[in-house]
Amino acid sequence: MSSRMDTIWSKLDRKSTAIAEFTMRQYRTRISTWVVMGASVFAVFLMLLFYIEAMNTEIEAIDNDGDSFDTDGDGYPDGQERLEGTNPNSDASFPSWVEPDPPEKWINEDDIEWDNLADGENYVGKDDDGDCLNQDTSSQRDNNDNNVDCDIIVTIDSLNGTVDVNADNNVDEDPDEDRYGKEAGHRAFILGIGKFGIVYLLGIFLPLFLATGLIREEMTEGTIHYMLAKPIARGEVLLYRMLGYLGITWPFIIGLCFVLSLITGFAGPGDDLFRWADFGVWMSIAWSAMMVSLVYGTIFCGFGIIWKNGVILAILFAAWELGMAFVTILVGGTESSIRYFSVIGWGMIIVDSGAAICWPDNWQLIESGLWGGGKGEENWLGEYEYAALPGAVPLATFSGDSSLGVSEWLAFIISTVVLLFQGVMSWFIGQTIFKGKEVD
Amino acid sequence: MMPDLTQHGKAETQQWQPDANTPVVMFDRVSKTYGKINALGGVSIGISGGVTGILGMNGAGKSTLFKLMMGKIKPSSGAVRLFGTDPWKNPAPYSRVGFVPEHEKMYDWMTAFDFVTTFARLHGMTRDEASKEATRVLDFVSLQEVMHKRIGQFSKGMRQRVKIAHALVNDPELIILDEPLQGCDPLARTTIMNVIKELGAMGRTVLVSSHILHEIERITEQIVILHRGRVLALGNSHAIREMLDQHPHKIVLDCKEPRELAKSIIGLDEVTGISFANPNKLLIETKHLGKIHEKLPNIIVNSEHLVTGIDNPDDDLQSILMYLTGGSL
Repeated sequence: MSSRMDTIWSKLDRKSTAIAEFTMRQYRTRISTWVVMGASVFAVFLMLLFYIEAMNTEIEAIDNDGDSFDTDGDGYPDGQERLEGTNPNSDASFPSWVEPDPPEKWINEDDIEWDNLADGENYVGKDDDGDCLNQDTSSQRDNNDNNVDCDIIVTIDSLNGTVDVNADNNVDEDPDEDRYGKEAGHRAFILGIGKFGIVYLLGIFLPLFLATGLIREEMTEGTIHYMLAKPIARGEVLLYRMLGYLGITWPFIIGLCFVLSLITGFAGPGDDLFRWADFGVWMSIAWSAMMVSLVYGTIFCGFGIIWKNGVILAILFAAWELGMAFVTILVGGTESSIRYFSVIGWGMIIVDSGAAICWPDNWQLIESGLWGGGKGEENWLGEYEYAALPGAVPLATFSGDSSLGVSEWLAFIISTVVLLFQGVMSWFIGQTIFKGKEVD
Repeated sequence: MMPDLTQHGKAETQQWQPDANTPVVMFDRVSKTYGKINALGGVSIGISGGVTGILGMNGAGKSTLFKLMMGKIKPSSGAVRLFGTDPWKNPAPYSRVGFVPEHEKMYDWMTAFDFVTTFARLHGMTRDEASKEATRVLDFVSLQEVMHKRIGQFSKGMRQRVKIAHALVNDPELIILDEPLQGCDPLARTTIMNVIKELGAMGRTVLVSSHILHEIERITEQIVILHRGRVLALGNSHAIREMLDQHPHKIVLDCKEPRELAKSIIGLDEVTGISFANPNKLLIETKHLGKIHEKLPNIIVNSEHLVTGIDNPDDDLQSILMYLTGGSL
């Protein structure tokens, strides 16, 4: 029995490498392969130029709490007067015993320090500049009434997905826009280009151009007759052609993501030479794009078998997936359960899980950036709206929650398994149709 | 079971064993319809051993017959058997079959050697075996000197021979050639015909389709004539030849200087008339088509005139069909 299995295996093995190798060499001779790959690289690197420019442009610092002004005109900025316990509105109260601070000292002087947020109430924040701790009365220092002076209560309700911030005055109120904006912008770029550019666009265009004709072109040109006259099942032909397709697309995706991870890893913000955590995010983007291109490839190849204009079906399908990509990115979370009926929705879960694993602080970064120091104004509904820090809204848009209700690793594995299952089913349906197809 | 990536050495593969008691090819009342068009209507034949010519005009059902054998299409009714096995949705019998499709399109970017080895490996051969077999078959069709050149640079006749080589790589018992001589120059025709004859002499079952009777006659005496999807005649070509020889035939040669060439042809006993259809065509009339075709290549070579094509406009097959159908073509 085992020798029989070996025989079957070695034959499968030889046929698979023969067809896969042949398919890869065939791709090499086709101009469409080079055009679609060249265009992808060009588009991605064009986006990369905007990114590099953004990373090298300083974001203007804003005095979020307005304490760099000298309200009473006595030469001392408001922040210093508050720090010294004098009244910034009275020119009679200047603290003549110290040198006045330069106004720049009162810009970006109190950064946001939120760590280890968990479900329920969290007490975070630190009054770096002392303009809260120096206030006279305890009610001024603790106006959120939790018997802790100068802190912030962040209440997280993960069940409803709400975050409520209740801060004492003058705590974490003037964050560094440049530092925050670059970190958030950097992450938003990786997730944006990763999810939309690589997982969706690359994931759909590579198969559209490379997989749709995998069997169809051979049928149109009549060359399929060489392959079908050999002792090999049509399902196998389809499978090994797909292997050849993956042999071209997967290394391309991995290579592109690797180069991007190097560029963003070195060019990105931070004190370290290389941002290692991003590498994991890029890997999950590459993995997601590989899975997605596998499923799309098998589906599109099947469309090509069904109909000689299968590319039309493929484009219609791509439009549906585009809708799902928008739903997943823009609506996100639990509100978009329709995305489970798509390929891209599961691909996005892989990226979201990977980002959550590699950047465990990501959602804190988003929440603190959206709070932005607690300044803002009432909107027309009478609700108080915080002015978000630069980069916070894009990061919040492109970040997502797997919303599978399980741990990130499990969500990663589940979505991979779902995509593999979609791929296997597409192959099975494709080969069933191919088997019963009359090839003229 | 690790992938055998090096793929050297001999494959321990088991070949599919044909049933020894059935004909190699068997059609039992096979019909194939496309919509309202009847491509094949109730064909019953059994063929084993030797070279068989499948004759018929375009659209007679030759290709349909072959497609049914190769499991590419499903019979509308009746049974097709290769070595006693139904080939539809079952590629197993193809381990003993070599098929030369009619389609001209090939993978022009491959070398002849690559082409043959790639498809040899689909028979489960290792790289080593495939290379060895490819060299053998390319030698057999006299392409050993150009086998590492790209197919795109090949002439029609050379491409046809590469196709034949790829079909022979598994040492098949049944070889099916769909119009292998179409469009080939005289030299390639001779080579291909010799290859086919040799295969027949080796005891293989060879099926060759053509729409030109004298071509088939030079290869085999055993013929099947198809007309409008039915078997019109089946058997030895001599009998048919005799009744045909009473009809005059025409041969058209495409050449630069037909008048010069005509001088060397007019002397032949078999030629009954010569005319010039246009400045580049020489039209020969004869009652002994076979003999003329035997002598023509030598005359052309000796005259040193460039002949780019040989054609039979009122094909002899048409004459047979006229005769067999009582003039109702």
